[in-house]
Amino acid sequence: MTATQTPPPTRPPRGPVPKPRLSRMPRKPSSFDTLTLVLAFTLIAIVCLPLLQVVIGMVWKDGEFTFEAIERTLALPDLWTLIWNTLVLVIASSVCAVVIGFLLAWVNQRTDARWGLLNDILPYLPFLLPPVAGAVGWIMLLSPTSGLLNVWIRDALSLFGVDLATGPFDIHTWYGLILVYTVYAVPYTYLNISAALESFDSSLEEASRLSGAGYLRTLRRVTLPALAPSVGAGFLLSTWFGFGMFSIAAIIGTPAQIDVIAVRIVNLLTFSYPPDEDLAIGLSAIVMVFVGLSYYIQFRILRSARFGSISGKSTQHNIIRLGPWRPVVRGLVLIYVLGSTVLPMIGLFLVALNGYWTPNIDWGGLSLDAFRSTLIHDPSAREALFNSLGLGIVGGFIGILAASFVSLYVQRRRTALGAGIDAAIKMPASISNMVIAVGILLLLGGDPFNLGGTWLILLIGYLALYLPQASIASDAAVAVVGKDLGEASTVSGARDWKTFLRIYAPLMLPGLIGAWALLFIRIVGDLTASAILSGTENVVLGFRILEVFNGGSYAELAALSSTLVLITGTVLLFVIILSKRFGVAKTQSAPRTRKARR
Amino acid sequence: MQHAVQIEGLTKEFTRRDGTRIRAIDDAAITIDPGEFIVLLGPSGCGKTTLLRTIAGLENPDSGRISIDGRDVFASHNRTLVPPEQRDLSMMFQSYALWPHMTVRNNVRYPLETRRRPRIARKEMDRRALEALETVGIGELSGQYPGQLSGGQQQRTALARALVNGSPVILFDEPLSNVDAQVREQLRAELLATQRRLGFTAIFVTHDQNEAMELATRIAVLDQGKVQQVGTPAEIYRNPATAYVATFIGTTNEISGTWDPSQSGFSTDAGPIRSSSLTPETASARILWRPEDGKLESSRPSGPNTFEVTVTKTLFLGLHTEYVVRWGKASARIWSSEHHRFCPGDQAWLSVSPEDVMVFPGDGAQPTEAEAAEDTPPQSSAVLSEAAG
Ligand SMILES: Nc1ncnc2c1ncn2[C@@H]1O[C@H](COP(=O)(O)OP(=O)(O)O)[C@@H](O)[C@H]1O
Ligand SMILES: [Mg+2]
Repeated sequence: MTATQTPPPTRPPRGPVPKPRLSRMPRKPSSFDTLTLVLAFTLIAIVCLPLLQVVIGMVWKDGEFTFEAIERTLALPDLWTLIWNTLVLVIASSVCAVVIGFLLAWVNQRTDARWGLLNDILPYLPFLLPPVAGAVGWIMLLSPTSGLLNVWIRDALSLFGVDLATGPFDIHTWYGLILVYTVYAVPYTYLNISAALESFDSSLEEASRLSGAGYLRTLRRVTLPALAPSVGAGFLLSTWFGFGMFSIAAIIGTPAQIDVIAVRIVNLLTFSYPPDEDLAIGLSAIVMVFVGLSYYIQFRILRSARFGSISGKSTQHNIIRLGPWRPVVRGLVLIYVLGSTVLPMIGLFLVALNGYWTPNIDWGGLSLDAFRSTLIHDPSAREALFNSLGLGIVGGFIGILAASFVSLYVQRRRTALGAGIDAAIKMPASISNMVIAVGILLLLGGDPFNLGGTWLILLIGYLALYLPQASIASDAAVAVVGKDLGEASTVSGARDWKTFLRIYAPLMLPGLIGAWALLFIRIVGDLTASAILSGTENVVLGFRILEVFNGGSYAELAALSSTLVLITGTVLLFVIILSKRFGVAKTQSAPRTRKARR
Repeated sequence: MQHAVQIEGLTKEFTRRDGTRIRAIDDAAITIDPGEFIVLLGPSGCGKTTLLRTIAGLENPDSGRISIDGRDVFASHNRTLVPPEQRDLSMMFQSYALWPHMTVRNNVRYPLETRRRPRIARKEMDRRALEALETVGIGELSGQYPGQLSGGQQQRTALARALVNGSPVILFDEPLSNVDAQVREQLRAELLATQRRLGFTAIFVTHDQNEAMELATRIAVLDQGKVQQVGTPAEIYRNPATAYVATFIGTTNEISGTWDPSQSGFSTDAGPIRSSSLTPETASARILWRPEDGKLESSRPSGPNTFEVTVTKTLFLGLHTEYVVRWGKASARIWSSEHHRFCPGDQAWLSVSPEDVMVFPGDGAQPTEAEAAEDTPPQSSAVLSEAAG
C-alpha cells in the first residue's frame, strides 16, 4: 500500500489554484470525423450560400453597389396590397390555428373526450395530403357552382324548400383561403400546445384550485399564462409556414385575385419572360423581414413575462368528465379531422374516378380512365411522376444519410464546432423556404453553373429546403440509441467506423427509414422549390399539377393530385407501421425503463 | 513498481448552457497501484463521473497528466492524447450500455473482436466470452437479448463484458445503483471476490459511503472537483483530512469553539473541550467527534471532556441505541450498545476522550451543533422508545 496523503489538520489553506491553461487539444480527426465534417460543410454551403446570394443581391448587381433592387421593389404599384394581403392571410390563419390547436390539444389532454388517434393523425396531415393536392381537393369540394360539398348542401337545403343556384360557400374568397391555410397550420400549433399541456406541472393548477380558484379561473390565470411560450412557438411556426406558402395561395388565391408575396415571387421568376430577379430578391427580402420580425416579437414576449415552469416529466392531470357533452365534443373533433383530411381526398378521388367534374356523380360509371389517360398517355405527366419519385428516393437517401452522420457527430463530440454545425443545418427552418429556393436559382441557375431546370438543381434545392426536417428526424434516431452505447463500444477498443457499423447503424435503422420516408414525402409533394427551380423541360409532379391547373382538364388535375395522395399515403402508412413495430421513439438508455416497458 | 494509473494536476472545466463555467475537476492528483480497488466517493455532482471519463478518454481534460501503466495517455505539456479505443481499459457504465441488438454472448465477445493484435480465432473468442459469462454466473443466458434479462442479469452481463479481454484497469461508474438493495449486496460481494481473484485494478465511482467502505482498498473523497483525501477506509474514517471528509463519511457531532491557551483547550457552548490533535491556526475551530466515541454513564467519570447532560430522546436502531443528550446550549448524539440504559428525562454523564476529538479550522458559517442534530431525521427502521420510557 502506498503512503496515505493525509495532510495534518494544521496544513495551511491552499492558495488559489493557478488558472488552467485552456489548451483545447483537438483530437486527431479520424477518417470518420473527416468525412462527417466534409458532409456537414457541404450541406451548410448549399443552404447558406444561396441565402447570402439573396442578401448580396439586394445591394450588389453587375459588379457594383446599387439599391436598384430595393428601389424597384418599393416602386411596385401594388406592393402595399401584396404586403397587406400576405399579412392578413398569415395572421388571420395563424390566430385561427392557435385557437383550433389549443381546443384540440385541451380536449385531448384534459378531458375524457380524449382520443389517442388524434395524436397519430394530426401531425401527419401535411404529409398525408400535400398542400398542393389539398388545395385542389378543397376546390373540388367548395367551388361555388359545382363544388361537391356545395351541391350536397344545396340538395339538403332544397328538402326544406330553400333553393340556391350557387354556393352557399365559395373557396375562392378570403375566408376560403384562410380556411385552407388554417387547416395546414393547425398541426404546428397543436403539437406545441399539446406537448406543453402534457408536461405541464399540474401541481401549479392544484395549488390554484386549493386557494379557491375555480376551474375556469385557474385556466385563465395559471394554465394559459404558463402555456404562453408554446402558444407563441406554435404561432411563430404557423406564420413562418404562411409566409413561405406558395401552392395554396397559387391554386386558391389566384382565381380569387388575392395576390400574395410568395406567388408573386414565383411568377416573377418562372412565369415571366425574362425572369425579373431584382423584384424577386426585393420581395424575398420583405419575407425575411417579416419572419425576422415575428421572431423578435416572440423573443420579446418570452422575455417580458415570467412564465410558469414546465416540468420535464409528465404528471397525472385532472381529467374533466364532460358527461353528456362527451359524445358532442368527440363528434366535433371527429368532424374536424375528417373535414380537414378525408373530405378533400374524397373530392379528389370522386372527380378523378368520375372522369369529369360534375355535381352529379355517376356512381355506376366510376372508372380509372382519367388516371389512365393522365399517367399513361400523357408523357409529360408520366415524366413528372418518374422525376418526382426518383428525386424523392435519391434525395431522401442522400439527405438522411448525410444528416445522420452529422447528428452522430454533434451528439458524440459536444464541441462548439458541433453545436455550430447543428445550428447552421437547422437554420433554414427559421428562414423562409421560399427565399432559399430563390437564392439557389440565383446562385446556380445562371452563369457559371447553368444548372437551371436540371435534375441536380432540384436535388440541391430539395436537400437545402428539407434538411432541417431530415436533421431533426435523424437527431431523434441518434438520441434513441443514446451516448452510452457508442462509448461502451469505444472503450471496448472499437474505432469510429466499427462503432458506426456495428452499434449505431443497426440501432438507428428503423428511425432512419422512417425519416427517409418523411423526407421522400416532402420532396414528392413539394411545390415551393419545384415551382422556382424546375424548368418546363424537367417537370416534377407538383409543378405538373400547377401546369394542369393553369390550363388542363379538372379530371386530369384530380387524377394527378390523387396519384400524389396515393403515393404519400402509402409511404406514410409504411412509416406508421414501422414506428409502431419498432417503437422508433422509445429510448433505450436506461435499463430500468426498458424493463418496465416490457 | 509501475503505477497502474497516475493522475497529476488534472483540471477540466465545462461551460454550462447559460455560459457559466464550472470546474468539474480541479487540480486532481492521485496515484493508483496495480491490483488496488480505488473508490472515488463524493456527493452527486462533485465530478466523479467526469474524472472517470477523463481516465477512459471519453472526456478531454484542459490540463494535467494521466498515465496508465507508465504510458502517458494525456499530457497537456506535450499535447499527448491517446483516443479511448487505444487505452486498453474496460468500463462498466451506470446504465450498463448493453447493445440491445446483440445477444448476451455477442455483447461480451465484442471487445475481443475489436482487438487488432494478436488476432484470435472466432472459436476462441466464443470460448472466452462464455468463460467470462460463467465467471459472473450467467453462462446459461448467452443466447438471450439484453431486453430479456432482469436488472441483476444485465449487470452481470456488463461486468462480463468489462472482464472479457483481461484489461488491467477496469472503470466502474456507479454500476450498482440501478438494482434493488438485496441484489446490490450480493453483486458487491461477488465483484470484490472477482477483483481479488483476477487481480485487475478497479476504479469505482459511487456516492454511497457504505459501498465505498466495503469495496475499497483506498477511498478518494471528492468535493467540487477537488480530491480532498486519499486513504484506506479506516484512515478516512478515523483521520479525516478536512471537516468536509469527516462530516461526509459517517455521522459526527459538531460544535464550534475558540482556542483558549489558558486551558490548552477550546471554549465552547458545551464547556471546555480538549483535543489531542493539533490546534488550528485560526482562532475559531470546528470541533467534531463521532457518536460512538461518546460514553454515557450514570456516575461522574474522571478526566477531561466530561459533561453532565440530560437525555432527551432514545432511539433503538438494532445494533446500537442512539441517545440524544442536551446540556446548556449544546446537544449531541451518542451511540451505545447498551440498550435501554437511559430513558428520556434521565440525567447522565457524557465523556469523550481527547484522542477522539477532531479539530478543523472554523469558518463561522457552519450550523451550530444543536441544529444539525435535530434536523437529521431518525432512520425509518428505528423504534422510538420515548413512549416506552
Ligand atoms: N457535458 C457537461 N456539460 C456541462 N457541465 C457538465 C457536463 N458534464 C458534467 N457537468 C457538470 O460537472 C459537474 C460534475 O459532474 P459529474 O462528473 O457528472 O458529477 P458526479 O458523477 O460526481 O455526480 C456537475 O456540476 C455537472 O453539472
Ligand atoms: Mg455520476
